[in-house]
Amino acid sequence: MVEVKLPPLSEDTTMATITLWHYTEGDTVRRDDDLVEFVTDKATFNLPSPATGRVKKVLFNEGETVSVGDTIALIE
Amino acid sequence: MQGLKQPPWLKKRICLDEGFGFTRSVLREFALNTVCQSARCPNIFDCFSRKRATFLILGGTCTRGCAFCCVKKGLPGPVDTDEPGRVASAASMLGLDHAVITSVTRDDLADGGSLQFARTVDAVRKRCKAGTAVEVLVPDFGGSKKNITNVVRSGPDILGHNVETVPRLYKKTRPRSHYRRSLDLLKSAKEMKADLITKSAVMLGLGETDEEIIYVMRDLRDAGCDDFVMGQYLRPSLEQAGVTSFVGPEKFLELKKIALSLGFRRVQSGPFARSSYS
Repeated sequence: MVEVKLPPLSEDTTMATITLWHYTEGDTVRRDDDLVEFVTDKATFNLPSPATGRVKKVLFNEGETVSVGDTIALIE
Repeated sequence: MQGLKQPPWLKKRICLDEGFGFTRSVLREFALNTVCQSARCPNIFDCFSRKRATFLILGGTCTRGCAFCCVKKGLPGPVDTDEPGRVASAASMLGLDHAVITSVTRDDLADGGSLQFARTVDAVRKRCKAGTAVEVLVPDFGGSKKNITNVVRSGPDILGHNVETVPRLYKKTRPRSHYRRSLDLLKSAKEMKADLITKSAVMLGLGETDEEIIYVMRDLRDAGCDDFVMGQYLRPSLEQAGVTSFVGPEKFLELKKIALSLGFRRVQSGPFARSSYS
């Protein structure tokens, strides 16, 4: 099981808001495909999938705010 | 977050590859600051993954209070005499073919930090492979010609100094800086060394008009400025000035064409264009 975490974005950016999941639970995703989009104070970022597999669980919904280091999805 | 909704062209892809990790580890190893991290630049993933970074020397505390910048403000500590050597070591380890060095403003220092710039340029030249380009992005040094001379004499390939915005917005966004002083710095540097490439940049989206930007372009060309950069102002946090407008790619292209027609050697113009980004 691979945990998808919100990476550190800058020295002191600690939170981001998820704006779009490109894949949902049950979808198959390839490593490096854009998995989720989120917005910070500075810009909108796309986070690529760290692994190839099936999205087992999405832990935060669009519109929710997450902290750096939070696990936001599980891929198996 | 920004106030205005972010437009679709303002998207960046996070890249956490080996290059990104390596760059971050080198910076940690040598205890170096980068403006990439301190100013929350959205290009950080792109640059670090390509093993590029802009070194921020003279500490992480600035003596100015520009409304658009999230670098810490206050009274800085003493100058770190080991810093030039560490910058050079990091630049060498990263295999940089183009090293960019910038700083906070140090109004507390008689030389404005200019000698630290000179020492850093010298150290990078000695430590890095032959042919490594060295670019400095300097503060205004309080208008001191002696201080700018220190930097010019150290022999950078490119000397950048950003005017940041149009004259009308200086009082609101850069109350302790002076537009004409910045132009004079660029002009003086060019007069000291005619083959030195000089560069400046502005941020769009702070409330300026196109006409005001073109006015700045003309002033920079009159000062002999070679290269010009226009990027979108992005509010680093709620403590900084809000974004007045998001400028579209077409407008950036239109302004780029005008800038090139005025004789700039090189123009970078786009939402994520930054003085030290390539």
